[in-house]
Amino acid sequence: MADRPQALRRITEANEVHLDVREDIRRGQDPFARIMATVKALGPEQALVLRAPFEPVPLLAVLRKRGFAHWALQSAPDDWTVWFYRDPSAPAEAGGGARAAASTEGDMAVLDVRGLEPPEPMVQILERLDTLRPGQRLVVLHERRPMLLYPQLDERGFLHDTEEVEPGLVRIVVRRPAPPS
Amino acid sequence: MSGPGPSAGSAPSPTLPLSYLVTAVAAFVLACAAVPALAPELAGHYYHPRLAALAHTVTLGWITLSILGASYQLIPIVLARPIWSQRLARWQFWILAVGIAGMVSHFYIGRWPGLLMAAVMVGAGVAMHVVNVAMTLSSVERWRLTARFIAMAFTGLGLTVLFGLLLAADRLWKFLPGGFFPTLHAHFHLALLGFVAPAVMGVAARVYPMFLLAPEPSGWPERVQFWGLALGVPGVVTGLLGVPALVVPGAIAVAAASAAHLTWVSRMARDRKRPALDWGLRFVLTGSAFLIAAGTVGLGLAFDLLSGPRAALAYAVLALGGWVSLTIVGMMLKIIPFLVWYRIYSPQVGRVPVPTLARLGWPAAEALAYALLTGGVAAVAAALAVGDARLIGAAGVILAAGALCFAAAVARVLYHMAPSGRRPAAAAGARTA
Repeated sequence: MADRPQALRRITEANEVHLDVREDIRRGQDPFARIMATVKALGPEQALVLRAPFEPVPLLAVLRKRGFAHWALQSAPDDWTVWFYRDPSAPAEAGGGARAAASTEGDMAVLDVRGLEPPEPMVQILERLDTLRPGQRLVVLHERRPMLLYPQLDERGFLHDTEEVEPGLVRIVVRRPAPPS
Repeated sequence: MSGPGPSAGSAPSPTLPLSYLVTAVAAFVLACAAVPALAPELAGHYYHPRLAALAHTVTLGWITLSILGASYQLIPIVLARPIWSQRLARWQFWILAVGIAGMVSHFYIGRWPGLLMAAVMVGAGVAMHVVNVAMTLSSVERWRLTARFIAMAFTGLGLTVLFGLLLAADRLWKFLPGGFFPTLHAHFHLALLGFVAPAVMGVAARVYPMFLLAPEPSGWPERVQFWGLALGVPGVVTGLLGVPALVVPGAIAVAAASAAHLTWVSRMARDRKRPALDWGLRFVLTGSAFLIAAGTVGLGLAFDLLSGPRAALAYAVLALGGWVSLTIVGMMLKIIPFLVWYRIYSPQVGRVPVPTLARLGWPAAEALAYALLTGGVAAVAAALAVGDARLIGAAGVILAAGALCFAAAVARVLYHMAPSGRRPAAAAGARTA
């Protein structure tokens, strides 16, 4: 495991904001909105210390785009602690948003289509949906409500739910309806 | 705010905006082709029935139909609200198309009763659009800059058309007070600054970042653009109508809005993540650069440093032909391929290979259109300033050739809507799931 980064060592304990989402995930609740609200409230000197039952890979990409570096510590198979902190010396993400960031964790696949020129977000989403396993959800991070995507989702029989997390960040959860019993 | 996304009815059918945009392209070609044909008239005073026909082909046939069509495509995307009534929008299209054709033809032959009847039809079509947009905007929760600019633009459009109706009626019954030319100038500036300018600035706020892959701009240019127009347009129009002291402060406020807009556009161009510009974006940025020339000549006219029909015609061409038209051409080269792609290929994404958006266009025709239209607009403005009919005719030929290249590029994209024009599944550049 890598040593604690220099930039993180400079952050005092008093400036660490702790958030434990293990219980949310155990109850089947999605903690994304809670995490983003906490991140939004962080001061410039503060770091988020997140406890989760797995390494939150999709979140790492989302927060990297917002200028947060991270350092993760695994204490048990289902106990991860991840520090998110601002590090101006961290290298900027390659590609400048010209490519969608995708990752998969359990029954949830995350696709970040921010920074793509229309209609590339729609193409990325529809192509990704084609590979979605039964029961798996696709979480799409978008800059705006994709008004032209919704008819395509309806036509293909997907269920979708949209949440405007903050200006410039919309989260769409897409899933296949459960097969009739 | 959370909840199910809007359903299938939320997105307009692509054929709705396309009907407006394609008709607008036809009007643009007609207007550009008319420039060499009307060169002798253009070398004289602008108050001429045939030049009024040309001006309304540009302002109503080209610019207004483009903005109305684009609004039916862009309002749902940038404001995340479905259009209130697509049926109303389709009726409105036919009423406007017939009304505009009637106005242009009656201007051309100088028949005022027919002009008034056609103007009433245009007024009805515009009223339908204003109602449709107002009902759409009524459900907007956050009034961001684009929503405010759209509201301002369509208020300006309504007032411009009302003003035009009064002018048409005045041709028959002579009831308007004041001189004819100040009233005419006020009508022109209400259209340019009260309708077209906020429409372009509103679109720029949300759509330019989307295509340039640039962060959405914010800060003082946003406020200066909005308030510069909100205060400057009434100043200029009222000043021209009868309170001359308001012309200069109004023009300064509008110039400040224009400068803020240019600052904004240059920031977006500088901070863009997109490394290479396509021809559509080059048109848009070049159109913005024409705003500098148009604004300079406009200020010269406001401060009485310039005067007369030569400067006024050059100013109109720099503003309507340079800034507005090049911007619209650029936006159309982005929007029309998207609409065609969405209608023909988006249902197949993830199922069969489909061509990328870039494969729909015709870059060679777009490049030629760029060279001819930008050069042609500058040449026509210079020739009008000089007032030489042969120069105007020659510059008009360049402009007309550019318009034809642009129309050919658009036609190539539209060809994909015909079954024979669709790309086969294995075409080069196609993407697979």
